[in-house]
Amino acid sequence: MTSKFKNTIGSRFILLLPLILLFVSVFNEFDFNYLNYKYFSFNFPFILIFYWSLKRSESLGYGFIFIAGLFNDVVMGFPLCVSSLAYLTVSLVATYIKNMTVNTRITTDWFTFFVAIFFSNLIFFILLINFSEVAINLTEISYNTFFTLIFFPFFWFLFTYYNSIITSGKNV
Amino acid sequence: MATSRDDFVIAIRSAFLKKGNKQRFSLIGLIFFSIGLLIISKINLPVTNYLNVALNEIVYRSSFIVSIPEKKIQDLNLRIKNHYNTYNDYLKVKEELKSLKSQKYETEFLKSENDRLKKTIDEYIYNSEELVAKVLIDKKSPFLKSIIVNKGSKDKVKLGMAVLDGNYLVGKIVEVNYSTSRVLLVSDLNSKIPVGIEPGNIQSILSGTGKQNGKIEYLESEIIINDKSVVYTSGSGGLFKAGIPVGIYHKKTEENYEIVQFFSKLSQLTFVKLVSFEEGEN
Repeated sequence: MTSKFKNTIGSRFILLLPLILLFVSVFNEFDFNYLNYKYFSFNFPFILIFYWSLKRSESLGYGFIFIAGLFNDVVMGFPLCVSSLAYLTVSLVATYIKNMTVNTRITTDWFTFFVAIFFSNLIFFILLINFSEVAINLTEISYNTFFTLIFFPFFWFLFTYYNSIITSGKNV
Repeated sequence: MATSRDDFVIAIRSAFLKKGNKQRFSLIGLIFFSIGLLIISKINLPVTNYLNVALNEIVYRSSFIVSIPEKKIQDLNLRIKNHYNTYNDYLKVKEELKSLKSQKYETEFLKSENDRLKKTIDEYIYNSEELVAKVLIDKKSPFLKSIIVNKGSKDKVKLGMAVLDGNYLVGKIVEVNYSTSRVLLVSDLNSKIPVGIEPGNIQSILSGTGKQNGKIEYLESEIIINDKSVVYTSGSGGLFKAGIPVGIYHKKTEENYEIVQFFSKLSQLTFVKLVSFEEGEN
């Protein structure tokens, strides 16, 4: 056996988990609204797309990222492709970092994630202002961005652990 | 210097154009496709409208299914909270019931008197059509406060219909698909509703704040609203009939705090009424 993750439904599920999580998160928004914490929300798809585009780009295809963005636009009621472009921007920054660097650590990933969500939010706002009449509460968006940034290390460790399981599985 | 610029160009070109391992599309291709689709959507071609409606139908249904586990957790959380608050709620409800019973007969008398007086002064009496709809998706997004309901154009839902939770206004229909519709909640920043505030019949606009409450806008500075005044729809603009209760106005002058607390809890909606009002014979 070349891999302990070979040819079973479970193994396929494990390999496709980042993609499944991406679609579940855009359909479901992972908003934790039942907790009723004021201003608490974070953008899980940003973290997911950035991490997996940086570490293992084959886990999330660009096409799937684009479609996930479309679904997110429909769920949130935005003009089509606004979220797609925001997600693709995150993916673009991650791919650029991947091409420019050899070894990355959590601190560098965290900083570059900040750059990615900065550009992504910038594009998102420009498009939203020009292509829709939706008024935005900037305070809530700032909190959302802040919590997304704060939660990144937690998911980084979680995904790194998960990535190591897949990688070790493939190298057996 | 030149080398670092070359590195930058190579990396950015590679990020844009290279399809990479197991990638079927290049980033640049998808980015251009997205921009193209965005522009075409803005032009409002019939093709994009059909695409929009089809996507909405598929995504709303899928989102409803995917959201089931989260909704179960939410229900469980609510049940636990309700369980702990049962006794206090019971005492409160008992007290309220006592006071409402005494008001009921007075209200009935006033309603019939109001109808009679309206006929006397030739004002329209509204006929309404009601539809009960189930809330499919309830997303508390930082961007839009809206819900998706399971009634659409096939059930004769129209844009602008009032959405009520019991007798209280919670929003209006802003998007109609074949079997689903989107409701913009009164708490959304984009929601503006003409209201009358009682006592005093003060006419104003109720605007959402993006939180769980609203605020009164476009009011002349010399008009003073009393604390705990009741906010109703005013019927201006002809979209909603006058007198649908919306919320209670709260004010703390020393803290410069003014909000409208909605009667309905907008995060707990499960079934709503979609109501259209038409001017009937007087």
